[in-house]
Amino acid sequence: MGQFECIESYEVDKVSVVKFVDEKVMDPGRIEQLGKELLSLTDEETKPNLLINFENVRFFSSQAINKLIVLDKRVKAGGGQIRLSNLRPEVRDLFNYTNLDSVFVIRDEEAEAIDSFEQD
Amino acid sequence: MNDTTWVWQYDQRIPSDPKSGVDAIRVLLEQLEQREWPAKCVFGIHMAMEEAVMNAIKHGNKRDPSKHVHVLVNLSETQFYACITDQGQGFNPDDVPDPTLDENLEKTSGRGLMLISNFVDTVTYNDVGNSVELVKHKQV
Repeated sequence: MGQFECIESYEVDKVSVVKFVDEKVMDPGRIEQLGKELLSLTDEETKPNLLINFENVRFFSSQAINKLIVLDKRVKAGGGQIRLSNLRPEVRDLFNYTNLDSVFVIRDEEAEAIDSFEQD
Repeated sequence: MNDTTWVWQYDQRIPSDPKSGVDAIRVLLEQLEQREWPAKCVFGIHMAMEEAVMNAIKHGNKRDPSKHVHVLVNLSETQFYACITDQGQGFNPDDVPDPTLDENLEKTSGRGLMLISNFVDTVTYNDVGNSVELVKHKQV
């Protein structure tokens, strides 16, 4: 049953994989909703492991990046891990220019990203 | 003197709300795509405009409904030019902390100006700091 408007979520090997519904993550109202939905993924999880799969994302505004930063802090505060994968080159550039590729662990493909989660 | 031949112009004063900013940018993006600008150029222009317009709305005009943002965009066959002006007090871009420093990385602000400068060819602020000009040349 769909509970989210802005993301799709499924589980692989105890990792919550998240994909974005929108190709262009830019609408301010949708980004606010996106932020809430991402944070809700950590509500019931101890040590949440999240993979954000950017497949099909053609644009990602800096406001959306801010939501990821907030999510990252929440996940890490809970002892969890977060990964990003499948970023198009232009979107990958965003994280490069902003030096956020030193904050987020980024992998080319989903499977590779799932394998990179450290096991307890 | 700039003797560029502009083939399209957008010249509007928009309300100081983010939705109006997004709508204005959509009009520009449609033009760029119709004129078959390269996808990477369009992405860069989109990113720079998003940051500049949202900065004007949120930081310049503080979302004051009594204030507007003047958005001027000119397109030639090979050049994008925009001038975004708010009705705020202005600021000094040099006073904005570097968001790429370790101590600033996890802050949720300060990133926009740097993204603007990375995605267009030239960025010029007026003396007051309430108006910015962006120029990007089409890469073939």
